Amino acid sequence: MADEVIYEARGVSKTFGSVTALDAADLKVHACEIIGLVGDNGAGKSTLVKILSGAHQPTSGTLLLDGQERRWDSPADALEAGIETLYQDSGLCPDLSISANVYLGREILRPGLLGKLGLLDHKQMAVKAREGLEQAGIGVAGGSRSVSKLSGGQRQAVAIGRAITWARKLIILDEPTNHLGARQSAEVLHVMKRAKEQGLGVIFISHTLPHVLEATDRIVVLRLGKVIADAPTSTFTPDSLLKVITGLAGT
Amino acid sequence: MSTPQADPMTKAGGRSNRIAEIFARQDVILLCVLIVMVAFFTIMNPLFFTSYALANILQDFAPVMLLAIGQTYVILTGGIDLSVGSALGLSGVTCAMTMRSMESGGSPVAATILVGLLVGVLTGLTVGLVNGFLITKAKLAPFIATLATLGAGAGLTLVITEGVQVAGGPTEVITIGNTTYLGVLTLPLILVLLVLGFLWLMLDQSRFGRWTYAVGSNTFAARGAGIPVKRHLVKVYALSGVLAGLAGVYVYFRLGSGSPTSGQGQELNAIAAAVIGGLALTGGSGKLSGTVLGALITTSVLSGLILIGVAPNWQQVVVGALIAGAVALQQVDFAELRKKVTHG
Ligand SMILES: Nc1ncnc2c1ncn2[C@@H]1O[C@H](COP(=O)(O)OP(=O)(O)O)[C@@H](O)[C@H]1O
Ligand SMILES: [Mg+2]
Repeated sequence: MADEVIYEARGVSKTFGSVTALDAADLKVHACEIIGLVGDNGAGKSTLVKILSGAHQPTSGTLLLDGQERRWDSPADALEAGIETLYQDSGLCPDLSISANVYLGREILRPGLLGKLGLLDHKQMAVKAREGLEQAGIGVAGGSRSVSKLSGGQRQAVAIGRAITWARKLIILDEPTNHLGARQSAEVLHVMKRAKEQGLGVIFISHTLPHVLEATDRIVVLRLGKVIADAPTSTFTPDSLLKVITGLAGT
Repeated sequence: MSTPQADPMTKAGGRSNRIAEIFARQDVILLCVLIVMVAFFTIMNPLFFTSYALANILQDFAPVMLLAIGQTYVILTGGIDLSVGSALGLSGVTCAMTMRSMESGGSPVAATILVGLLVGVLTGLTVGLVNGFLITKAKLAPFIATLATLGAGAGLTLVITEGVQVAGGPTEVITIGNTTYLGVLTLPLILVLLVLGFLWLMLDQSRFGRWTYAVGSNTFAARGAGIPVKRHLVKVYALSGVLAGLAGVYVYFRLGSGSPTSGQGQELNAIAAAVIGGLALTGGSGKLSGTVLGALITTSVLSGLILIGVAPNWQQVVVGALIAGAVALQQVDFAELRKKVTHG
């Protein structure tokens, strides 16, 4: 396993008014590594994700990409740097088609003058979106269908497929297996492992501890905004992990 | 999210289902409504179906259409623009005042008209930019921000005109505004139709249009996908302002004078056109074709009511009822209803 650190958060804090959602959290992501980020509801997982992806700015602390200190003013900056994020519950625009969602914010324009006028190349986006989803191991037929017509599992598949299509360094998945059945969850885990084999770093957030224990290389536990454990997955058992999360364990 | 397994698209669809689907399409329903309405008014008063009456309806339709296009873009982002009527009035009088003073200063007619037009449009643009600023920077809800500019714009119009009509200006204006070709078209009307075609294409085919839908469909996802949401919103409100400015200029060309009250209640007509056309007020869904039909329906109702002898004071009452009716209809879940009917 390559152990070069691609992305790092150092002492990152976030307060919302009087609520401290994140308290001096540290996190390192290596290439070819899946990190499981776990913790109770309200532990600060989604907040950390939003800081890593540029959707929130940290109250204090720094972010380093490839060892360079970086600052994201918006998600667009982090996307540009190769960090793709699947946010909890709100990854897609339901009124747009599948291919429009895959290419959202990265629309392909027509060649020549029409493109300069901002006209979309629907055909090319449809073809490439299907290729991209297939490559990510996700087959969803009918790219011109509106996402609102898809089932929860299909939506999640499209959202993950989009993230994998575009990620160049890191992919962050906030509870991607929520609302999914057993078979679809297994597919998500499989897709994550493929992303890792392609050299990406992956952050996987889930409440389903068996998934976390099965798919990840390292587990980071958040509790009340603090990182209270960060160790290789092999050092945890289902029991010990649960104890750490609920605060019943010493370490 | 809904249930993970079931796929609603793979339901089998027979022929009767397909016919039902055609009639469930918003634009088909609207077209039927329009036809029934025209038939009704023609029976009540045959004058309704003459080229003279049609020319009049189209003349009323043009400014409503301009405002309704802007409203469509704005509503698609999940917002609303209440200031368009006010912006129309303000632009009309700034345009008229500019032309009047240039004309009395002895400027050539062409220059007078061009500068007047520009001033009218820039006035609308300014109102739109103020809206965009209030919404994205001061973080006011669109409803409040544009209510504020509605008030401020109407007040400003009365202040600069002292409440009286701005008459005068080149006589060519009213000639251009009222010379008809093919019985029904005027030069300004042709320009409005070109603007409509351009913005229709832009909404359906361009990245700008796609982002407009995306912002209204799921703002958070749009931002997460790297779309500069705030900048886009400012552009959309600016577009709505520019269209209101054009509408103000249009009305000035038609009447030959700038009336401080010409925009009053026009935002109602524009919103009516948009919601009758099937736009969801929550944003992200709807089509400009619906709005065009909605604007045609709104303006024909208004003209038709006058032709069958309903007092003009009832107009706003009727438009208000149309808006309420259209939004109420949107709440009805037709698919659910059909299921209930077919399953007893
Ligand atoms: N935008 C916000 N405004 C105020 N409080 C917030 C906001 N986002 C998160 N919080 C608070 O921060 C804490 C951490 O939330 P979150 O990061 O969503 O936790 P998790 O994803 O681990 O369940 C919670 O107490 C939550 O209420
Ligand atoms: Mg969360």
